[in-house]
Amino acid sequence: MATTFLDSSELVLNMGPQHPSTHGVLRVILKLDGEKVIGAECVIGYLHRGVEKIGENRTYQLFAPYVDRMDYVSAVSNGLGYCLAVEKLIGAEAPPRAQAARVILTELNRVASHLLWLGTHALDIGAITPLFYTMREREEVLKIFENYCGARLTTHAFRIGGLQYELYDEFEEQVKTFCDEFAGKIDEYEELLTGNRIWVDRLTGVGILNAEDCKQYGVTGPVLRASGVVWDVRKAQPYSGYDRYDFDVPTRRNGDTFDRYFVRMAEMRQSVRIILQAIQQIPDGPIMARIPKVLKPPPGEVYVSIEAPKGELGYFIVSDGSLRPYRVRVRPPSFVNLQALNKMVKGALIADVVAIIGTIDIVLGEVDR
Amino acid sequence: MAVTPWSSPLTERLSDRFTYVAGEFSTYAGQRFFTATSAILPALLEYLKTDESFDFLVDLTAVDYPQRAQRFELVYILYSYRLNERLRIKSNVAETEKPPTVTGVFAGANWLEREAFDMFGIEFAGHPDMRRILLPDEWQGHPLRKDYGITQMDNDWVRENLGIDSGQ
Amino acid sequence: MFGFPFIRVLRAVFLMDLLQGLWVTFRNQNPSKIYTEQYPTERPKVSERYRGAPRLNINPDNGETLCISCNLCALACPENLIVVGSERNEQTRHKDLITFTYDLSRCMFCGLCEDACPVDALELTQDFELASYTREGAIWDRQMLEEGPHPARYK
Repeated sequence: MATTFLDSSELVLNMGPQHPSTHGVLRVILKLDGEKVIGAECVIGYLHRGVEKIGENRTYQLFAPYVDRMDYVSAVSNGLGYCLAVEKLIGAEAPPRAQAARVILTELNRVASHLLWLGTHALDIGAITPLFYTMREREEVLKIFENYCGARLTTHAFRIGGLQYELYDEFEEQVKTFCDEFAGKIDEYEELLTGNRIWVDRLTGVGILNAEDCKQYGVTGPVLRASGVVWDVRKAQPYSGYDRYDFDVPTRRNGDTFDRYFVRMAEMRQSVRIILQAIQQIPDGPIMARIPKVLKPPPGEVYVSIEAPKGELGYFIVSDGSLRPYRVRVRPPSFVNLQALNKMVKGALIADVVAIIGTIDIVLGEVDR
Repeated sequence: MAVTPWSSPLTERLSDRFTYVAGEFSTYAGQRFFTATSAILPALLEYLKTDESFDFLVDLTAVDYPQRAQRFELVYILYSYRLNERLRIKSNVAETEKPPTVTGVFAGANWLEREAFDMFGIEFAGHPDMRRILLPDEWQGHPLRKDYGITQMDNDWVRENLGIDSGQ
Repeated sequence: MFGFPFIRVLRAVFLMDLLQGLWVTFRNQNPSKIYTEQYPTERPKVSERYRGAPRLNINPDNGETLCISCNLCALACPENLIVVGSERNEQTRHKDLITFTYDLSRCMFCGLCEDACPVDALELTQDFELASYTREGAIWDRQMLEEGPHPARYK
């Protein structure tokens, strides 16, 4: 009797789709041995909206607002990737002024995305204060987006061929003020978190993913860089004028959660560096290339990828010469990164699972599309 | 822009080693691709990964061409860290055919192949866990096929599980 | 001093790292700028380019609508939710606008209709209080579009 009662076999625990720490509707089925996790299986698809099917039914310009809604936290990046892909398909290129403005807005969006990541990740681990401070900074970035294109979250900021709206008068001043104050704010977050023994203990040694596994799973973004592989699409295959700016690619060696935190904080600083360089030298000129209003790209297919805040975001567009794309495939970084969850949680405790899901930085809108 | 043929030491080594790589090696808009038969794919990708250092599977997807005899075209995009190059491999698969899985070569192909099965109905032989990933497990139909309407849904599943007449 | 890092031990025993974090929190008490907007009492100022509720503009000189019924906004909408009803006026040889239906429930406020309009008749304004009690109430006809929503204001 007593032995069957104390039978320690595997327990299956459901971390269901409604959970405050799963960053969206993600269901994780955990197999536990006591408190230790021996396996995790993710069930996704709760936010599947069929974006790729919609892409086959809209013209190229009309599909751009839908693209913002995949990784809704960094809508500007998604728009940049899509516009670059279609521009490659038709053989056009945005003028230099548009490219500089695109870089500034995309890097601002990277800062906003990492701020949201930091706030929610700290909140999951239990540090409630950084959430308020990061949301305060994010508010400034969203105000700049609102002043530029009229919406804070689903910005639809870029058009195929360049920009629709001219940069408004106070743009330079507002961006410069933001950048000048922001360096001090990152120091403040680091003061709160980096030396804090609770933070360090919760994050070091948790969720280790070494470089070889990263390459096997196809993991990209800050997760890959924290494992030691120095690779950033902005440096490897520059787009939109990134080769004109001078910035570092932060990497660390261990590949645990603390290193990913470190890499993202350093990335925010590098983004500010890029923005300050770009804002000094915005060239004058037109903001839109000369492309026909009715876009009919020649038949063919292209794959273009950018460095989104979450990883390598790629667009594979097949055109058959008609008004609508034949196939739009989005290579979502969060989907591919989430596959590595099973590997990362083996041997961790349940509380660490929450930290690991937060550190991969997934947005379910992108995982499910 | 037109599709231009591409030849390099890599293409020669591939043609020597895999005598049944169908189709030519081509370039379009600066991006290189070639077509291969589906049976040799695991061996081809293994060779590219170990000997040619294309060790990153960027994407695995499919395109539906219903008017062709071999309806689906599988697309594998590989990247090499050392050479900083991308390569696209396409493979034509008929509707009832089951191409071999590449999860033995790249572990990251697991979910990508499940998504191709979910959206197109392409079953991969040898896959450890071949079931739907984004749609519910009992869903009938494969949405990204060209004969699936844009507002079409699996009405039986909707009626049974959601209790409403139709999702529209 | 004693052969091991004395300062680090002191830091650990006296919780210096935690106190450092607490000091950041105390520094931020009573901040100079409050970011919370007390919404119903003070309405936030949104930017000039804000994409809010649509409006059909009227020519201020003669009180007629600026819309020329070219249907470009309907073609530019990704969701196909604009329906422009017009009839050709034989005398002026132009089209006259009769009905203009805009389905706000499906609108994603992307701004493509505003960009497409050649005469700046359709404009997305700064209005964001667009709730209605019924689904049909979200389908706006021409009158609603010209006058704008009148949300009940509570004192």
